[in-house]
Amino acid sequence: MEAALRPPVVDTTAFGWARRRLFATPVDTIVTLCFGAVVVWVALRIVDWTLISALWSLEDGQTCRDAAGACWAVIEARGRLILFGLYPYEEHWRSTLACLAIVATMALSCVPWFWSLKRLPALWIGGFVTFVVLMHGGVFGLSVVTTEQWGGLSLTVFIFCSVAVIGMPMSIGLALARRSKLPVVRHVTSVFIDLFRSVPLLTILFTAAVVIPLTVPDWAQGDKLGRVIFAFAIFFACYQAEIIRSGMQAIPPGQEEAAAALGMKYWSRVFDILLPQAFRNSLPATINQFVITFKETSIVTIIGFFEIMASANAAVGTGEWGAQYVEVYFFVGAVYFLFVFGLSRYGAYLEKRARLTHA
Amino acid sequence: MPDPVIQLIGVTKSFGPIQVLRGIDLKVGLGEKVVICGQSGSGKSTTIRCINRLEAHDGGRIIVDGVELTDDLDALDEIRREVGMVFQRFNLFPHLTVRENCALPQIRVRGTSRADAEANAMAQLDRMRIADQAAKHPDELSGGQQQRVAIARALCMEPKIMLFDEPTSALDPEMIGEVLDCMVGLARGGMTMVCVTHEMGFARSVADRVVFMGDGMILEAATPDDFFERPQAQETKDFLSKIMAH
Ligand SMILES: Nc1ncnc2c1ncn2[C@@H]1O[C@H](COP(=O)(O)OP(=O)(O)OP(=O)(O)O)[C@@H](O)[C@H]1O
Ligand SMILES: [Mg+2]
Repeated sequence: MEAALRPPVVDTTAFGWARRRLFATPVDTIVTLCFGAVVVWVALRIVDWTLISALWSLEDGQTCRDAAGACWAVIEARGRLILFGLYPYEEHWRSTLACLAIVATMALSCVPWFWSLKRLPALWIGGFVTFVVLMHGGVFGLSVVTTEQWGGLSLTVFIFCSVAVIGMPMSIGLALARRSKLPVVRHVTSVFIDLFRSVPLLTILFTAAVVIPLTVPDWAQGDKLGRVIFAFAIFFACYQAEIIRSGMQAIPPGQEEAAAALGMKYWSRVFDILLPQAFRNSLPATINQFVITFKETSIVTIIGFFEIMASANAAVGTGEWGAQYVEVYFFVGAVYFLFVFGLSRYGAYLEKRARLTHA
Repeated sequence: MPDPVIQLIGVTKSFGPIQVLRGIDLKVGLGEKVVICGQSGSGKSTTIRCINRLEAHDGGRIIVDGVELTDDLDALDEIRREVGMVFQRFNLFPHLTVRENCALPQIRVRGTSRADAEANAMAQLDRMRIADQAAKHPDELSGGQQQRVAIARALCMEPKIMLFDEPTSALDPEMIGEVLDCMVGLARGGMTMVCVTHEMGFARSVADRVVFMGDGMILEAATPDDFFERPQAQETKDFLSKIMAH
């Protein structure tokens, strides 16, 4: 009797945990050992290839063929091409600063202090003006570099940030229009959204880059990069609008009624009550959309822009480094990972913050 | 009767093919407390939601504080500033703290400075004896506490008239008392109140008039004494015997 009442003894050490979870039965033990062996073998191979047997720079007369593992010398030799594309060599410092400016702008937009209708636009305008002045030049004695010469990481980050910054307000507008009380507005918006969502992104970008110059008078065309970004932003906004709308639908109708009963006007109800809750409700889907958009920027290669994937291809396109494509893609992959992982972590931070503030 | 601040004259309202209000006539004087009761689905909520136009009536006239309710949005804003409302489900804003729930509407609607709005918020929360919870978010409070915050939030707008739509029916029994106490305090202070409730004790002690609705019409309107002791309509008698049986 007394023995039955005693609490079960649980060995809480790591050894105890392993015994319970990994080696409880003979089958468990076999599975654990097999998978353990595979994991260790793969990890060792990767470490060996990337670090131990890798060649970091080439001495006189050495070539990458001498490397038993990765030959990182390719990054030293071609890194600038990957990161800056066709941007003039002597002006790379401008591209670097511009890239830092836009990344800083995005990082600051993530800080809650900036989340107001005055601060956020001010921050964005400041960030984008800095970027364009640095990249394009033509003022302050900087030489002009046209958008055709922009490239590499700066271009990728610029396209992504512009699409996000133009697309987000647009998506809010579309989401609100789609739940408008006026049937005309509602229906036109929903046809617009469905139209853009049902066409592949490539087609839209191609239209913006190639078809519009054929049909629209010169003065109304604007810059090719500008057109492509704008078209991309509309595409982004159509998806994001539906995400925001789903976040709004999850809000009980009593919220808007209470705000209305207090005398709050439409815009105040939207910006103070509905949108903050809608964003919280749709946070995971929104982060998802951002991650997809970041990776999709590489599609602009096809219409002749030299973003980081294209410049990476160019870097291994010459015979000299042709065999080092694994190292180069590894490097580009690491750059993508840095940005996307950062985005995901920020999303996780926001979700935690939303939970802490109970909504 | 003192000057009516709320006048409903032959008000009708349909949802699609179903007519839910079939000619409501009701006058509420300044400082008067009116309790509305009746069967579920009889149109009580719809009636008081018409008073601040959360629902638009489609026949008859509604005049609140001298202003007729029409599609005119400016008039509507004016009326909503004068009329506070408390809902069955509290409807506090979950992403804002209790203090911010009370302060933000003042800032947005009345253009009050933040400092004044927060001071007023704390004063009203204190009046509802809930000031110690000001820094919390609504979902950290009990139902009774949330409803008292909702009353404080409405009072922050300094309304002339308060509408209550079953303010205690979503509450656990032990919390009903604290909310009713606050409402009694408000009534003693002279507020004009229109209150949909089945709390007959509250109706008896506070109401100047009890209005009984059935099937989209007012079947009986009387002082609490007459209403409870000498009900006229058969529906009222049935309703009272059912309520009292509990
Ligand atoms: N938005 C709506 N759309 C369609 N019908 C509605 C709507 N709101 C209310 N009704 C209908 O109108 C009638 C009156 O509803 P109302 O909410 O006014 O009743 P009530 O007296 O408040 O009932 P309860 O005691 O259950 O709250 C009901 O038959 C209800 O189904
Ligand atoms: Mg009701």
